[in-house]
Amino acid sequence: MNDRLSFYRKRNSPVHALNPFTKLILVSALIFYGLTAKGFWTATLMVAFVLLPLALASKLLKEYVGVALKVILPTAGFMFVMQSVFIPGGTTEIFRLGFISVELETVQRSYLIASRIFLFISAFVLLLLTTHPSELMSDLTRRGLPPQFAYVIISTLQIIPQMQAKAQTIIAAQRSRGLDTESSFFKRAGLLVPLVGPLVFGSLVEVEERAIAIEARGFTSTRTKTFLHDIPDTPADKFIRWTLTLFIIISLAARLWLS
Amino acid sequence: MNIEISDLHFTYPSGVQALRGISLTIEAGEQVGIVGQNGAGKTTLVRHLNGLLHPTAGEVKIGDWDTRKYSVAKLAARVGYVFQNPDDQLFSRDVRTEVAFGPKNLGYPKEQVEALVSEALEMTELADKTEANPYDLSPTWRKMVAIASVIAMDTPIVIFDEPTTGQDAASVARIANVIRVLRERGKTVITITHDIDFCAENFERVIAMSQGRILLDGKANDVLGQEEILAATYVDPPQLARLGRRLGFKETVRNEEEFLAALKNMSA
Repeated sequence: MNDRLSFYRKRNSPVHALNPFTKLILVSALIFYGLTAKGFWTATLMVAFVLLPLALASKLLKEYVGVALKVILPTAGFMFVMQSVFIPGGTTEIFRLGFISVELETVQRSYLIASRIFLFISAFVLLLLTTHPSELMSDLTRRGLPPQFAYVIISTLQIIPQMQAKAQTIIAAQRSRGLDTESSFFKRAGLLVPLVGPLVFGSLVEVEERAIAIEARGFTSTRTKTFLHDIPDTPADKFIRWTLTLFIIISLAARLWLS
Repeated sequence: MNIEISDLHFTYPSGVQALRGISLTIEAGEQVGIVGQNGAGKTTLVRHLNGLLHPTAGEVKIGDWDTRKYSVAKLAARVGYVFQNPDDQLFSRDVRTEVAFGPKNLGYPKEQVEALVSEALEMTELADKTEANPYDLSPTWRKMVAIASVIAMDTPIVIFDEPTTGQDAASVARIANVIRVLRERGKTVITITHDIDFCAENFERVIAMSQGRILLDGKANDVLGQEEILAATYVDPPQLARLGRRLGFKETVRNEEEFLAALKNMSA
């Protein structure tokens, strides 16, 4: 059974110590720059020289590389291959596979897109690895994010593992009543109702109970709310945020003027 | 049908050692209550009886079947298991269809399914609610539907996981009655419970578990009298037993009759 649907890994590192909002700005800046920069190798170099060192500094190099190799690389790789092979439009043919011609320009464009996707996802993975989701939401709520929005995110993260656990119990309960879940595909189609029925009914009941429970604790109260946990926001955090914002503005301006 | 458990060990994939060497024989027709603190391994143990879990080491045999060699669906013909939360299993539009689901899965002929369902509904006092949608019933009656749906499978062994949790007195009495009828029919009943009075009144044999091991196993009177040992697994002897002890009874009493008999004995 999964205990939580969260990538978060607790470590004692300078990256973990950053304010969640700072990390969000950092990741946004990386992604923004990576997606807008013109250089062909920019995204690749950023992964190698910014994200990897950051992962190392977070003491999460193994976890980061693990996710990158197992999840992100196959996704980006698949897109790269499909686009290279099936999107026509180049002029310099590299090789031919029957009726499919693979051109240098397409391959280059596919690589650019794939490397940007790799950067995009892996930057977010690093954020999720180093930031507890409820801390991030709590910090954003304090900065003015509507609490309803934060609730939707947090409750989804909580509900999914709960539903997984419940689904496991339902399967166990129905198998105990002689339901053969190891049978042929056609028989399996008939299993849907006994398995999904209780899951849906149960979830609807749970949603109502949750709504009542949070309302009982004044969720929709219009008074100014206080926060239980103090999330540190140091001058260094502010400095990093302003630097990054400035950096993005300058790079954007530079592109507009120089192009 | 005997249950034979020998040196059963079980470790969850997360690394939690839930069972650390359980050896146990339960004869056909025995009524066994299992008590113990949360996390003692009670549910893990009974989930081995119908093959939902397979031993990490050791062996579980239901009659002549090694649970590792038979699917849960097959074992369901021998072991019925009432889960704690009825909402984890109810899905049909009416009570009768719901109760018929198990016996149908076991492949009984149609007339037998009908007969078993009617009997189970009678036993659980649901006969006047057969057309109701289970989700329109109160939680206590939903529990009875879940119990009926397992009893209708007519298995020689029936397991109840905390049947009395959240039930009112009338419902607890109904569940006790179901267990009594099952006993009369020679079924083996194994019940996990935190309700020590319910345990004392309905089970001849009691097993106390703690940290994946069996702490005590024996006649209910003997086990429930071991106040010091039971304290290790956060179980208090039933109130009457404790009162009897304060009054200086030599034997542990479980119910009102035994208490009154012991009281008369003392004053005589």
